[in-house]
Amino acid sequence: MNTLDAHTWLTDHGDYLFRVARHQLHSDELAEDAVQETLLAALSAQARYTGDASPRTWLTGILKHKIVDLIRRNVREVEIPRDTEGEEAIDSLFQRDGHWAEPLRPWGNPQAEAELGQLRRVLDECADRLKPVMAQVFSLREVAGMETEEICKELDITPTNCWVLLHRARVFMRRCLELNGFSKAGAT
Amino acid sequence: MKWMPTCKDATELASRAMDERLPLSSRMGLRLHLAICENCARFNLQLQEMRRLFRLETAADDDAPGLAPEARQRIASELQKKLGS
Repeated sequence: MNTLDAHTWLTDHGDYLFRVARHQLHSDELAEDAVQETLLAALSAQARYTGDASPRTWLTGILKHKIVDLIRRNVREVEIPRDTEGEEAIDSLFQRDGHWAEPLRPWGNPQAEAELGQLRRVLDECADRLKPVMAQVFSLREVAGMETEEICKELDITPTNCWVLLHRARVFMRRCLELNGFSKAGAT
Repeated sequence: MKWMPTCKDATELASRAMDERLPLSSRMGLRLHLAICENCARFNLQLQEMRRLFRLETAADDDAPGLAPEARQRIASELQKKLGS
């Protein structure tokens, strides 16, 4: 491996790494930082790259750590918002006795590329509307597929807090998707 | 003793079950509830569908914007700095 590779990585995998990072960090600026830190770290570590994995897989592995670092640095204190906003939003979906206030509509089963493209935009828009802490926990779990135990440890929050944040985020996301056409898109 | 969770409780359990194995009693309560409640069964399916779509997207999202030219330039020069040092 020679030193020219670093520029090749940027050319060949820069966009890919950026998209993965953007998707998890919900910020262009942070995603650019993540790509830069990944490539710099890769440069320092290239002696340890054995070539067993493809460069993209190897770089993506480094990127995952950088994303978690960036999230940790940006979430100075992870606190369940004391405000009752999340709580109220959930309460408003249920009657006082705990039954759903409105029936849930089924989602469609989009297969066509165009439909999937549309869904992706809705997914991203909804995720961008989550509160930052919720968005980050949600991304680490649902997008990056990290185990909750790992997330709690990385962000230094209790399992209960982690789980409350995840639940609120999921309820919000589900509702947001429903309100933005998921229940109609391709519905049979 | 509450042997059957309400819809609100059931959604919390369904969400938690996405992350960890529930204790037996909760698991039974949730299963029972989902068997008779169409809305919660739908909620549960939609949580799983959401996960599938999100993970699918990470792998397949090739038409999202890539690195901005300025950012690419900046990163290239950072790399160059490090290569030169």
